Amino acid sequence: MGVMAPGNHQLDTSIEIVTPENVSFRYHVAGPFRRLPAFIIDVILQILLLGLAGIALLSVFSFFGVTGVFLGMGFWFIFWFILSWFYGGLFETYWNGQTPGKRLTRIRVIATDGQPINGLQAVLRNLLRAIDSQPFFLYQFGLFSALMNNRFQRLGDLAAGTMVIVEEREWFQGILTIDEPEALRLTQLIPASFQASPSLARALAAYVQRRLAFPIPRRVEVARHLAEPLARRFGLPEGINPDHLLCAVYQHAFITEKSAQADTPVSPFQATDSPVATASPPVNPQKEDGESPFAAIPTSEGSQP
Amino acid sequence: MKVSDLLQSRRKDWSELEMLCIQFESKRTASREPERLTRFAALYRSLCADLALAEAYQLPPEVTRYLHRLVGRAHNQLYRSHEFTVSTWARTLLYEVPQQLFHDGYLRLAFCIFWGAFLLSAMLATSQPGFAEAVIGAEQIQMMEEMYDQPISEMSQSERGAMLGFYVFNNAGIGLRCFAFGLVFGVGGMLVTFYNAVSLGTVFGHMSTLKQWENFSEFVTAHGPFELTAVVLSAAAGMRMGFSLINTGGLRRIAALQRAATQATPVACVGVLLFVMAALIEAYVSPAPIPYGYKAGVAVLSAGLLMFYFVGLGMPQEERP
Repeated sequence: MGVMAPGNHQLDTSIEIVTPENVSFRYHVAGPFRRLPAFIIDVILQILLLGLAGIALLSVFSFFGVTGVFLGMGFWFIFWFILSWFYGGLFETYWNGQTPGKRLTRIRVIATDGQPINGLQAVLRNLLRAIDSQPFFLYQFGLFSALMNNRFQRLGDLAAGTMVIVEEREWFQGILTIDEPEALRLTQLIPASFQASPSLARALAAYVQRRLAFPIPRRVEVARHLAEPLARRFGLPEGINPDHLLCAVYQHAFITEKSAQADTPVSPFQATDSPVATASPPVNPQKEDGESPFAAIPTSEGSQP
Repeated sequence: MKVSDLLQSRRKDWSELEMLCIQFESKRTASREPERLTRFAALYRSLCADLALAEAYQLPPEVTRYLHRLVGRAHNQLYRSHEFTVSTWARTLLYEVPQQLFHDGYLRLAFCIFWGAFLLSAMLATSQPGFAEAVIGAEQIQMMEEMYDQPISEMSQSERGAMLGFYVFNNAGIGLRCFAFGLVFGVGGMLVTFYNAVSLGTVFGHMSTLKQWENFSEFVTAHGPFELTAVVLSAAAGMRMGFSLINTGGLRRIAALQRAATQATPVACVGVLLFVMAALIEAYVSPAPIPYGYKAGVAVLSAGLLMFYFVGLGMPQEERP
């Protein structure tokens, strides 16, 4: 059993990466319209930098007379050249695939194999903006190229082997809990041996997550299709609120202790050095700090031979 | 085992990793304490294990999604972009690029297109009256003629600094654009090269028929070798990319393009360096009130340097470690 959906067919904008730790995880690639705000921020920043540099250079070099002013202009042109061709390349090299605009909008350039980009790739993909922005500097070439492949790569990305991904941040919300007393009472009626299958658990979690957005009659209407067969299976009387029953099954599956878990495989969820680690038996002399989560054997189920 | 207990026990590690990510995102690599780095790596590995078994433990989808994002975020901090170092730069510029250019068919092609078109249009501009006006426009020619009316030594000297910057901005920009346009199946680069060669050749040919020729040739001699070589190099680098889409060498087109682009980018960067050197000479040597002999000397010296770079460093030699 894997975490990933099987096959290579891609339904949405997620891209699967296999890390050197041999775990695959998903990224969302950033499309043209996700990248546009970052681009606009960068352009504005470039204009501001160019203006500021002009003022600074002129005010410093004007102390050296006419020749100095012209020299200041010369440096300003060189600064303009570097800014217009190497702004993205230098930032993406030293900021790990981000420009200021990308950092603000939380997108990042990485190689298509999930590795970080190197300096060469960063410079190359930004030099090729010259062709991507054609014709008329409206990025039609880049847009066309991005729409023709499933990673939204413009020509510069294709040549450099890079893609832009969304770096989502999310605070851990914990697991949703049920606090309706009716639902909690129903939990007692569910047979202790009942164990939700993975697909049922997924459906329950999705339902509980969204149910509060629906009015109660609608909840009943949605929940009925799953609640009725479950009620028959548990031998529950007729007339139980389907919404509450699903909540109860959710509570049972995710929060209440399960008894039929004696065949649980090795648990990785022993904390590396959190207080819970004391729950693991002292028969694991090789257990290092956070090093081998597989070494910990669950004991709470009494399954130790 | 309760899912909520699992989460509770792992949550501490996850938020610790989150905090480390936040710290690392705003700090330079060098300023990271080793203890934190090892702690980060340990937490990351156990997070990967958690994600791998998330489905086996029937974690709710929102928790799985959170794990995916946290792994992605930590992955980007752990595996970082390689920054430029002086030694890799030097090796690329002084060893790999000349070695590669020595056998580069596209460099020969760009060379032939450029000099062929240059000489042809120079000849036409010399022999056919009206050719120069048709190619670059009467207005431009008027401007050129006025520019070289006075002897070089009487040119204004104070604005050289500005000209230096402008030459870098303009000429290196043209070179890089020529490189980028090469991507269009090589044809874009060929067209840009051809266009540059024809306009340059026409100017040379046309000027040679006028009395301003002496001033003109005195001005362009010194920086000519670097600048014209840089144009050809940029074009060759662009063509390497563009033609890799046609002659894939048995690879998929995208893979062929990526390989060619990786090889071509340092060449384009050498082109930029040559443009910068040419701009320095063009701003400070070419208009200087010194005897023509010195300027010719600079031209000979730079041509010698280029020969050394392309032939001396480019000669096939045994692989250095």
